[in-house]
Amino acid sequence: MQWMENTFFDHLDKFSNSLGYENFGIAFSLSSIEWKTTEARDSFIRAITGTDVKGGGE
Amino acid sequence: MAGNENSGGMRPTAPQNNPANISATGGDGQSGQPQRYMSGLPYGSGGNMQQQAGAPMAQAPSPVAAPSAPGGLNELQGLLAGMTSIDAPPTDPTIPVSTGIDFGRGEGSSSMPAQYRSDQRDTEALDLIKKYLPDLINATRVSDAPDSYKKFVNYLKSQVI
Repeated sequence: MQWMENTFFDHLDKFSNSLGYENFGIAFSLSSIEWKTTEARDSFIRAITGTDVKGGGE
Repeated sequence: MAGNENSGGMRPTAPQNNPANISATGGDGQSGQPQRYMSGLPYGSGGNMQQQAGAPMAQAPSPVAAPSAPGGLNELQGLLAGMTSIDAPPTDPTIPVSTGIDFGRGEGSSSMPAQYRSDQRDTEALDLIKKYLPDLINATRVSDAPDSYKKFVNYLKSQVI
């Protein structure tokens, strides 16, 4: 198995790292959304945080 | 079949077709409420219909409804009597007014009782995470799983355990 983009786990990685670990509840809920594309998800994250998307590495 | 005025059909002179007979207040213009038969009561209780006949229609509710339940106002006053108003002078001047919140003088939210400290949503989220933690951990074993995700799952583990 390989890590895949645009999956629940990928969303959780991006949301938890972008919103902060302490907001895991919100990250969990937002990750459950079926985002049409990763671009749509990332632009949402940028809109609510005002910064670039975090996660996906480090 | 014309000629008989009781034979049905549209009669312009019938009372229901006279605009002057329409009440300006609609059905509210009627006096009292209709009597209704209450079934299922013991024999003789049907007399309640007569009591209904004397019951007036309820008035339209006013925008500010005064408590009408007996004792309702007194109960409210009783509850409010034990409360300190927001502009009352401090009962203990040594405790800063900002005690209990995470800014200003005094202790932060850690000084609050547990029921005011714990966020219900976080508790629910933790329950959810406890349920799915094994799956979240399994995903860390997937090849190419980013370190940022692994760190986050480690954080969740520390919260749950």
